[in-house]
Amino acid sequence: MATATFPKKPADHINAKPVEYAPHDLEVKSYLPEIFRGVGVSMKHFFENTREIVRGKLPDPVLDRYDDGITTISYPEQKRPYPERFRGVHRLTTRTDGSMRCVACLCCSTACPAQCIYIEAGEYPPGDKRRGYEKYPVKFVVDELRCIFCGYCVEACPCDAIRMDTGMHAVPYDSRDQFIYDRDLLLSFEGRDGSHVTANARHEPGDPTHPGLTREHSH
Amino acid sequence: MPTFKLDGKTIPFEPGDSIIKAAERQGVEIPHYCWHPGLSSPANCRMCLVELVPKPGQRPMMLDVLELDEATGQYRPAQKPKLQPACYTPAAEGLEVLSDTSPHVTQARHDVQERLLLNHPVDCPICDQSGECKLQDYWLEHDKSGKRMRDEPVHKSKGVEFGPTIVYDGERCVMCTRCIRFMAEVAKDPVLDMRERGNLNEITVGPGRQLDGHYTFMTEHVCPVGALTTKDFRFKARVWFLRTAASLCQGCATGCNAHLDYDPRYNKAYRFRPRDNEQVNKYWMCDEGMLSYREAHDGRVLEASVRGKPASVSEALAAAKDLFAGVAKESVAIVLGAQHSLEDNWALRELGTVLMDSRHVYVSGRPDGYEDTILVHRDKNSNTQGVKTLAPGARPLSALLGDVASGAVTHVIALGGAAPVDAGDLEDAKLVVVAAHEGPLTKLATVVLPATSWAEHAGTYVNARGLKQVAEAALEPLGSSRTAWSLVAALASALGYQPSWSKLRQIRAQLTAPTAADAPAAAALAE
Amino acid sequence: MTATLLLATIVKILIMVMFVLNLAAILTWADRRQSSMIQDRVGPNRAVIKIFGKELRLAGLLHPLADGLKFFTKEDFMPPNADRLLFTLAPIMAMGMVFTLVATIPFGDTICLHQFRLFPDFWHVHTGPHGELLDGVERWGTCAADSRNGYAPLELVVAPLGVGILYVFAMSGQGIIGAAIAGWSSDNKFSLMGALRAASQMVSYEVTLGMSLVGAMMIYGTVRLDDMVRWQQEHAWGIFVQPLAFFLFFAAAVAENKRIPFDLPEAESELVSGYFTEYAGMKFGMFYFAEYAEVVTGSMLLVTIFLGGWALPFFHRDGLLVQFGDTTLLRVAIPHVFVTLLGVLAFFGKVIVVCWIQVFVRWSLPRFRYDQLMKLGWRLLLPASLANILVTGVVWLAVDKAGSAASDGLRIAADVTQAVVAMAMTYLIGRGVVGMFGTVTHERNIIGTSAGIAARRGGTKTEPMQA
Repeated sequence: MATATFPKKPADHINAKPVEYAPHDLEVKSYLPEIFRGVGVSMKHFFENTREIVRGKLPDPVLDRYDDGITTISYPEQKRPYPERFRGVHRLTTRTDGSMRCVACLCCSTACPAQCIYIEAGEYPPGDKRRGYEKYPVKFVVDELRCIFCGYCVEACPCDAIRMDTGMHAVPYDSRDQFIYDRDLLLSFEGRDGSHVTANARHEPGDPTHPGLTREHSH
Repeated sequence: MPTFKLDGKTIPFEPGDSIIKAAERQGVEIPHYCWHPGLSSPANCRMCLVELVPKPGQRPMMLDVLELDEATGQYRPAQKPKLQPACYTPAAEGLEVLSDTSPHVTQARHDVQERLLLNHPVDCPICDQSGECKLQDYWLEHDKSGKRMRDEPVHKSKGVEFGPTIVYDGERCVMCTRCIRFMAEVAKDPVLDMRERGNLNEITVGPGRQLDGHYTFMTEHVCPVGALTTKDFRFKARVWFLRTAASLCQGCATGCNAHLDYDPRYNKAYRFRPRDNEQVNKYWMCDEGMLSYREAHDGRVLEASVRGKPASVSEALAAAKDLFAGVAKESVAIVLGAQHSLEDNWALRELGTVLMDSRHVYVSGRPDGYEDTILVHRDKNSNTQGVKTLAPGARPLSALLGDVASGAVTHVIALGGAAPVDAGDLEDAKLVVVAAHEGPLTKLATVVLPATSWAEHAGTYVNARGLKQVAEAALEPLGSSRTAWSLVAALASALGYQPSWSKLRQIRAQLTAPTAADAPAAAALAE
Repeated sequence: MTATLLLATIVKILIMVMFVLNLAAILTWADRRQSSMIQDRVGPNRAVIKIFGKELRLAGLLHPLADGLKFFTKEDFMPPNADRLLFTLAPIMAMGMVFTLVATIPFGDTICLHQFRLFPDFWHVHTGPHGELLDGVERWGTCAADSRNGYAPLELVVAPLGVGILYVFAMSGQGIIGAAIAGWSSDNKFSLMGALRAASQMVSYEVTLGMSLVGAMMIYGTVRLDDMVRWQQEHAWGIFVQPLAFFLFFAAAVAENKRIPFDLPEAESELVSGYFTEYAGMKFGMFYFAEYAEVVTGSMLLVTIFLGGWALPFFHRDGLLVQFGDTTLLRVAIPHVFVTLLGVLAFFGKVIVVCWIQVFVRWSLPRFRYDQLMKLGWRLLLPASLANILVTGVVWLAVDKAGSAASDGLRIAADVTQAVVAMAMTYLIGRGVVGMFGTVTHERNIIGTSAGIAARRGGTKTEPMQA
């Protein structure tokens, strides 16, 4: 009777180094020696630390502070510096006159792979100088639970209106509805520099930096 | 059929066709802004320029130009063929036309596109046309170059309200004059015109007028760019989020073919767009029809109710069973709904005349209204003809009122909530209504069952001219609504009958096979 | 009489439930604190309470309290399509089964009370010439059979059931249901897979759990847990009689508790957190708590069956008696009630030690792969437990046939084991005390990228968040 071998034996010409496995003898298979050895190592550390605690040689990490650079950080008292381009909770930036930069183009919501941004656009009221030129978000909702902090919304924004430079990480809350950040909350966040505007100036019509002369009907 | 050659491909045409129309019929697109198959050709956008190859022996029509000589850095006189607008040049037997294969045409398209974008504000992020804009499409196809003009673009009026429905943005306009021509040629109301010349050119409304009437939405639809926007759709959605279903306008008996654009994420309909169908509506729809997408959400019956109180569907069916307990067959009437599809009406007719053996068949629907000679039909129900074919002997609702008053009818099962006459006398009857929309009948009904609207199920409708057309489903059923035919089946089971249908295709097989008259409709549907 | 019995039962229930609840709560802390000490980390220290302007951190001992508060205030989320009834029922079942289980575990010897007097005469000790109690209890057995001299038994077990350990198995088997319906009702694929894993794992190890005890039951000759302890008190602890069964039972019990290395049903890297993925708030808290309560009850069973229950070496109902075979070395008469109370303390102390060891196991071993888990259960542990039954039977028969010499020898051997236990306990305690005086050397390595960055930046102490 032909014996089926599983897994299939590799062909001879395969250029590979065979992996060495531990011998499958009773000592390994019964697990017990290694378990005792492992637990022994654990116990050694445990009792050494117990001794340090009993003799008062173990500094309290909060009250006494550990050495610099120790892996553990006592979080609220000590904070690890975030990288320059750390993506934190979103914020909506404002123009220099305090109005929203967002024009509700939905580019962020289009780019968002988690579909966590919901925007309802609105028209400026009659008489407003931006009426006809721009729209603005009546609702701008970010579901921070759905957000995966990829930063695509920031990349997609043509107005630099949404940024993730608040330096805040997502905080824990008691319930889910607290993670639904609405427009006014997002507007209230500051960037790391403590400002509500962004470093990228917006060239409004009438500004000397505006590439055009004026939006006024000149003829 | 005579033919001509376009880029070596043989194109048949009918006498009088322009090159662009003949090509379009063959599925070959020549880029264009101002030309529209339903309108006249002004040939003013210059996007459709093509090169005509002179016949052997004929002197080519050439244009004297100055050409930069790269070697010397000097301009030298040269010649190039004079290009012709494909929308204005009639096709002729044996004509040889070069479109995509001609470098001159390619260059011309590039230059025209660049010119059209010279003063464009490029505010695509806030423009509602973005995503279905010809400027975007053709820039990608034919231009793909940056803006070279460093001067301040010309500024024109923005956010001008042309009327109660349309907002105009002069800076986005490419002056194709489609809207002007539509109002003059189709709507027969030449209220739009243009003023100034060159890059100051603008669309204006006639003095003392505003853009109103029954066909204002079409100006936005024919606009190839974002210059005209409707107040209804303005800023509501981005078109790339929308999906479309081949639907039918339910506003009147004309049965205009329409695209129903909806957002599947929110299960919400956003707009109607006309769907080209030479048999019915050509390329147009009326304002009321284009706004009738709202009926997918407005005035809907979303939950079952018993005596005005909300109930579950099963509770409502149980209430209907109690209502019909021990009733004599002679006193049961059914009211078919001219607003519901052929399938729904077939199911109710089956329940009424076959299962319940009732001889009282009536038809109800919305009352007649405004009509014109262009598209709008007096009958405001989408399926009156269909009900007539299903139940030729159906009597109007007013007859039912008399029968109820005389006591001949005590129990009524009705499809659809609308009534053409004041139905207050139906209070005396025990009324079960399967309806998608609120109406006089749902207010009077003891039991109301929530049916899906035309937007949520596929259905067949017969328009005023007897054309049988199918509307696709777009949305998922809203609320706890179910298709009317399945509700009728559930009602039949609740009343103790065995419904002979449980699937849509069973009903469709039962409906009469398409006749020869329906063949063009079938072809239109296939398209 | 009945009212007194009722009162006594209530007190017993309170003792048992309070012990399990509190030890489980402390175990949640011990798990974290002990792991930090094993891994040379800082460990829990955040929960702080301020009394008279002083901050009390108690090495993180307040964390269970803070956890409890947090569980109660968190949103009680339920998936929209979850089965509402089962979803709510599951944590209750998981937790309830653990507590019904402790009803049959004896935590002390039967106390013989004189007619349940309010102030019984505990102090009166009359010893005979050989040091035995004259008018007290018998050295072996209970006073149930001896009520002629007016003593009534007070059994230190909530429900003295005749079926004893069988009831325990019946109840611990129900633990599967809690996990299974939790996963099923959550309307989540991860939960369902976790529930399937939990169910198959628990069913598999249930078999070994039962089989490993058959040998012990053969030797003890009873299924009553208190009689098992009495046998161990009289002869030798179960771990010496049934060493293989001890390890099998230990492994199977850890697997039943779904703890590392057997925590496949809630493997984070694969199943988010298994069958209670969708649970939040106190419902999650109940699962979390049930796991630790199971550790406690599992330890209680282990102590009762293999580690002598309330028995201490050489302590008998009538006092201390150091005896090898017929050679008596020491005999001190102690009032019966004191011995019993000492036994109660010994039982709870042993349970705590076993829990402590279980935490070591949890923090020393890696998680099994699922097929390894199943192979271990069915191909290794189960055959080993069956072999254990066979060998036990053969040895039992051989000893039975061998005559009195063999049984006398075994008796001396049993007494030797008692001595070994006593000496081992003394040594370990002494070693621990002495070990505390060794030298302390600190060695700190900056390991890891983030720690390196922080160190280069000048530490994390004073610098505010730069971000």
